[in-house]
Amino acid sequence: MITGQFIELTWSIAGQVALLGFIGGVLSGFIGSGGAFFMTPGMMNLGVLGPVAVASNITHKFGKALIGSKKHGELGNVDKKLSMFMLITAAVGIRLAVWVMKALTGSGDSHGGGGKSAGADLYISVVFVGILAVVSISMLKDILSSRKGGEGAGPSTRIVDFLGRLKMYPKIYFPVADVTVSLWVVLICGLATGYLAGTIGVGGFIGVPAMIYVFGVPAAVAAGSELYLAVFMGAFGALNYAWEGMVDIRLSLLLFAGSLIGVYVGAYGTKVVREVFIRMVTAVIILLCVVSRAIAIPVYLQKLGLIGMDPSWNPILNSASKGMLYVSGLSGGLLILYFVIKAWLARRRIQASLFAQVPENARKGLAQTSA
Amino acid sequence: MQIICISRSSYGYGKELAEKLAEKLGYRCLAREDLTDRATHAGIPVGKLETAVLKRQAVSESLALEMDRFKAFMTASLCEEARSGGLVYHGRTGHLVLPGLTHVLRVRAIADMEERIRMAMRRMNLSREKAKSYVEEVDEDRRRWTRFLYNVNWDDSSLYDITVNSAHLSVENSATAIMHMAALPEFQATPASRRVLENLLLSARCRLAIGKDERTRDIKVSISAQEGSVSVTYLPRDARKAEAIPHVLEGLEGIRSLVMTLATTSILYVQERFDPQAPSFGHLVEVAEKWNAAVEIVRLVDDPGAEASTSEPDYAALPISREGGDGGILDDTPALEDCEEKGCGVPETLSRLIEVGRAGAVRTVVGGAQELAASLSRTEQYSLVVVGDVFMSRGAAVRKRMKRDLVSLLMDGLRSPVIGTEDLKQQYLFGAKQWVSLGLFGLATALIYYAVFTFQEPLMNFLVAPGSTRFAATAFVCLFAPLAAYVIGGFAHNLLKLIKFE
Repeated sequence: MITGQFIELTWSIAGQVALLGFIGGVLSGFIGSGGAFFMTPGMMNLGVLGPVAVASNITHKFGKALIGSKKHGELGNVDKKLSMFMLITAAVGIRLAVWVMKALTGSGDSHGGGGKSAGADLYISVVFVGILAVVSISMLKDILSSRKGGEGAGPSTRIVDFLGRLKMYPKIYFPVADVTVSLWVVLICGLATGYLAGTIGVGGFIGVPAMIYVFGVPAAVAAGSELYLAVFMGAFGALNYAWEGMVDIRLSLLLFAGSLIGVYVGAYGTKVVREVFIRMVTAVIILLCVVSRAIAIPVYLQKLGLIGMDPSWNPILNSASKGMLYVSGLSGGLLILYFVIKAWLARRRIQASLFAQVPENARKGLAQTSA
Repeated sequence: MQIICISRSSYGYGKELAEKLAEKLGYRCLAREDLTDRATHAGIPVGKLETAVLKRQAVSESLALEMDRFKAFMTASLCEEARSGGLVYHGRTGHLVLPGLTHVLRVRAIADMEERIRMAMRRMNLSREKAKSYVEEVDEDRRRWTRFLYNVNWDDSSLYDITVNSAHLSVENSATAIMHMAALPEFQATPASRRVLENLLLSARCRLAIGKDERTRDIKVSISAQEGSVSVTYLPRDARKAEAIPHVLEGLEGIRSLVMTLATTSILYVQERFDPQAPSFGHLVEVAEKWNAAVEIVRLVDDPGAEASTSEPDYAALPISREGGDGGILDDTPALEDCEEKGCGVPETLSRLIEVGRAGAVRTVVGGAQELAASLSRTEQYSLVVVGDVFMSRGAAVRKRMKRDLVSLLMDGLRSPVIGTEDLKQQYLFGAKQWVSLGLFGLATALIYYAVFTFQEPLMNFLVAPGSTRFAATAFVCLFAPLAAYVIGGFAHNLLKLIKFE
């Protein structure tokens, strides 16, 4: 008999968790960050308690980040100094998140029965919806303004410029990213990243935009440095959650089974589609996930007795939430897979170099070369 | 057709120096502003580019294409000007616009900071503090611009042949010193350097033509030219649009042949003598096909003089070692003549690459490791650098040592993995070792899953058990997660490698 807070794993649930891992891996490889936004609520929809889903996912991310950051490091995309400075407060943020989660899970117990952990689930869902709605809408806005603005438009530098004018000393130079940022700004962003990573398991969605928009770090270095940071945050998160007995190692293993293959597929996708399309897919998928989680919020509110909704609505809303999540993840994943397969087939088809017939003598030149 | 490029700071004395030097030498003097005006006139949004870079905006793909056009415009303009006679150019990145051209004298002109601040105060009617801040900001902007365009440090003294300082030398004396330096044989045009200039001009013109035409302006291309043979590499997503490229380049003067390669990335292949029948070349082609990469060939013609000049500074030998050292294409040295007679395997190798659709650019570098490293573009991102048999005229031990040093140097200089051809199969192709690796990782993966899911009940109870076992449970989770990721990741990696999905 498995302990109460962990679910009984059937073949069907195990398969679905592995599928969540695969789709999450594809999205993670394609977007360059994240995947947890799909996997955490996905597991919750399968009946996994929110804190256990977050804990298992953060443990899974720890292992994955360790492998990924090594490869990023080889490409010179990791600013270790920046990651280390952010880590100082990110660790505090994670600890704070775990403490809040533990407190909420405890309070959820007091309601008994269906109300168990509903408080924590509600809290996670609200934070998830609030933060990721802002991120996805900002991204869509950014894409639209890029299109309107033509070639000159890019992500806004207003925050970087504003903070630069404030002259908050001491300022620190980060050599790989080639930026100089106030220590206080770095520490605050680290705290927010750690707190969100510990709460909803998607610190990367805050850490990467923060590095790009607030610090002015190049996108590739932001992704690499965040992954390096994720190793330590993941380790710290796993350590804390494991100490609290919340890690379901079986779920982490099942996530590995899908994600470690999916991440290769997603990364291949980035080579064959345009950057604006990548951003568009990312924003839409996150937005659909937000809607999915928002649909589930009334269920938690009802369980806590905060609204007088008929409990018979709970399974309907849960199904709708689950359906929406799968629609977002599967449509995004399938769309990416479509491009990957299309490119794969195109590569097979176009094997030979195209010979151009520029001037008449060009053909002769080529013919001689080929002979 | 001598070229002198002066890199200057704001409120330095670069402009005055360039004008004085041009006057003394009877050369034409050209300012960066002249070229940016022309570029703007030609439809390149230079102002937008500068704003985007200086305001640290993330650069969109279309803006990156415009950046590419701008660089090509600058290169083409300077090459055209240089063709018609001596030229003195002054601007922030003049020393980088003509990569690989050996007879360019690259000068950095600096001025005393206090003098620059005083000049800014005088000209702009600013307080000292504001003028200082302004000068520093402009310098920072120039550093950022240089890094963005060419991925190098503007202040890196190794990029210049000489630095002159107005605090120690007057404009007149600086010009005289540079004039004498320009008379040295190292800075005289040779047939080889003229060819490099023509190659640069042709590739820049091709880039401009592609960027100008409505049908092809959105295509991201990489172009190289060698004595009329143009190589254009483009991404799979642009395959349809790229069909128009031959028509766009049709009227362009100087093109003898055109090879177009569809590739998502590029592999640099360095070797002294090429053999398309060699197993190592077969491995390289296999990797290139797997990765959808174009193979850029660099023939490294060993020049013993290069090492001699490194270990013992014999300046008399420099003209020879420098001749083709920075990417020069020599056709009149004994080594090359000998190699030409034997073929060196380059045409056959290129032909084979064309057949399999993996052909990239072809270049020859004369010299040693330093010369090769200096000739490589630091902005080019290679997925892999493969070093084959080089320094063939040396003894076995020396050859091995020099190759090892070359690999090490390239690893330091390029943000790409560098590997010898002998390790290619083992690292990137599926051989016996990979089968063993796949088997072991597969077995370990199966064991992990079997153990966890067979004993899930006691395991999960152990993970939540209170008391002293909590330490052990926490340690288990923190050690097990990376171990499992490593094992399962290793299995997935090998499996995807087996089905050629990388």
